[in-house]
Amino acid sequence: MPAITRNPHKLSSPPQVKRRILRVRGTDVTLLDEVRQMAIADLGFDIQHESLDFLTCQHRAAMDPMNYDIYEQCFHNLDIVWYWGALQPIETRRIKQWDNIGDLAKTGGISKYTWTGHGDAPVRKLYVQPDGTLGQQPMPTISMLPTAHNVDSFGYDTRLFGAEGPEGSSWAWLLDRRARGRIALVDEPAIGIFDAALAAEANGDLTFQDIGNMTVDEIDSLMALLETLRQQGFFVGSWVSPDQAEALVHADRVSVQSMWSPSYANLGPMKDVFRESFPREGYRAWHGGASLARHLTGSKLDMAYDYLNWWLTGPAGAVMARQGHYMTNAEGLREYLSPEEWGYWYDGDIARCDLKGPDGRIVVRQGQRRPGGAYRERVSRIALWNTVMDEYNYAARSWNRFIAALGAATP
Amino acid sequence: MTGKQPNSGQEPLYDTISRILRHNITSGRLPDGLVLIEGPIAKVMQTSRAPVQASLRMLNAEGLIHRFRGRGYLVGPALPGLRPIRKALDEFDFEIPSSSRSALAVRGTWQRVYDKVEAEIAACQIFGEFRVIETELANHLGVSRTVARDVLSRLNERGLIRKGATSHWLAGPLTARTLREKFELRSIMEPAALRLAADWMDHAQIARVCDQIESGMTKDAAELEDALMKYCLSRAPNSALVEIITNNRLLLSAMDKALSDLGLPVDTVALDQYGTLFRLIKSHQIHAATEYLREHLRILSYKSLARLKIVALIPESDSIPKYLSRV
Repeated sequence: MPAITRNPHKLSSPPQVKRRILRVRGTDVTLLDEVRQMAIADLGFDIQHESLDFLTCQHRAAMDPMNYDIYEQCFHNLDIVWYWGALQPIETRRIKQWDNIGDLAKTGGISKYTWTGHGDAPVRKLYVQPDGTLGQQPMPTISMLPTAHNVDSFGYDTRLFGAEGPEGSSWAWLLDRRARGRIALVDEPAIGIFDAALAAEANGDLTFQDIGNMTVDEIDSLMALLETLRQQGFFVGSWVSPDQAEALVHADRVSVQSMWSPSYANLGPMKDVFRESFPREGYRAWHGGASLARHLTGSKLDMAYDYLNWWLTGPAGAVMARQGHYMTNAEGLREYLSPEEWGYWYDGDIARCDLKGPDGRIVVRQGQRRPGGAYRERVSRIALWNTVMDEYNYAARSWNRFIAALGAATP
Repeated sequence: MTGKQPNSGQEPLYDTISRILRHNITSGRLPDGLVLIEGPIAKVMQTSRAPVQASLRMLNAEGLIHRFRGRGYLVGPALPGLRPIRKALDEFDFEIPSSSRSALAVRGTWQRVYDKVEAEIAACQIFGEFRVIETELANHLGVSRTVARDVLSRLNERGLIRKGATSHWLAGPLTARTLREKFELRSIMEPAALRLAADWMDHAQIARVCDQIESGMTKDAAELEDALMKYCLSRAPNSALVEIITNNRLLLSAMDKALSDLGLPVDTVALDQYGTLFRLIKSHQIHAATEYLREHLRILSYKSLARLKIVALIPESDSIPKYLSRV
């Protein structure tokens, strides 16, 4: 160690190198500390997470564009932030695994024979067109790098609805009279409004010409229906974050409600009572991703690209899988999962042993099978995507008035 | 405020100006040969130039003033040997009768009041549907209900408000449907107006706009949109068409303004497109310019839909005036 003998004082002085930091703004769907720690270890720079609820996240990403480097959200939240000019296009030639990005994001469906689904399928927002708009015509730059995704349904109480049976459940259950007084909805307008709309169409109350792009009249009818049901005491309230939804189940206050995949692992003793549904009308899907802030240049931009590329290397996808979410390049993470994990989460096999979640707790018991089955089965049954419709401003304002009248559901 | 003369606010401004000038000429306050130029008169009357122009034409037709080889008009009949007198109006005993004075003042107030209300009513529509309450509007503005009613009927004519089933005045909501319809109208009417205006455009101004774009001085697409309207479309020899185009744009510009005020960044693609459009017009390629305008409007329509989604992030402001109540 000649350096030390030459200059012994170096030992006592603190390191002079300033840690480089990459700031990620997003939601708790992908901003998991397990992911952050692994990325720091692999990338050699620091990563800060700023985890916000959907609406606040979108709002700040647009209005406060200088204080983050990466925006991790969903494709359906992209329009607003993109057209605000807060993001910059991603060059696909700098994405090493670009060719392995799944067809669900790239072309709209896992095969050309599957139905893409109504609403904001990611491919419709993926490519940056020459006129600055987003569209599905392939181009050398994209708006958001597709990463985690999933198909959602709702959770239901088997004590009230019984077992699903071979036909599956129906979205109609979400507004079922039998559950009156024990129904909760998620408050996010680009999501909750569609849970309600799928339910209203499934039970025959309403029909939508294009449920992914409702007209003003259709929105009015839906909101009038929900208001009537609210006055009849159908709803317990709304929830903002998944832990609030879980708390409602723990407190046994709901019989049916909007619910997302990771929550089913957090139901404790209610786990066998409250189940994830497999609706016969199909799923409501979402696709997450990561975008680059407009202000990034030079070495900071290089760090951001390193981070985007890291997302597709496997470890992050394995963490996502253990809470039920899929990754766009599934094969790339296979080696990071045990064969039992892969079998349960991706292939729809019966769990051959207990499986752990990202934090090490057991989330799946031996002998269970994932509702809806394998990846291909589930994503080929997408009814619609989370969507920011053309009439979003009108719909979100009506929806927010309804949510305000409903109040938060407190367990 | 218009207690004695409820209609004075509605008399065309050029009539009022003509009456004042006529009074000063026939009473001999203004000598024969005095040069009348619209600018200085507009300043004295505290109006814009357009109504002064109109009233000078009227007086010319009446034979009280006449055109001469210089700029403006000369007072009196065209007699040989009459020498133009170039002096300011206030060097003479120029008088504005008190009745006309109040008409001018009312007129000015009315216009100010109208512009303010128009902006407020256009801006509120992004937040939803509102009822406009006439008595509250009168109180808010400190004017009589008659004036408030005049303001409302003008807004109605311009398509910013409508009568509901219970004969209340309603405004909004500005929805994607409204936006799509307005852009559809634009893409039908504006290319047509551009074609009609081909021989009537102000090419000196168009060249100036092109220079400004090239030198990077224009940073605002709204400015270029206004220039297109002013120097090109509004020159179409069909005033009914121009009026429909103007009114159709009102809500759209109000929405744009609301978003720009929030700090929405410059749409550089739109700036480039206006640059191309003005270059085509400048080089008299009207057919190509018309097609280009159509394509530009198609893209603009798509982007406006996206911008309307952004509006959802804007909280319904506390600044919504009291005379508007949510339906």
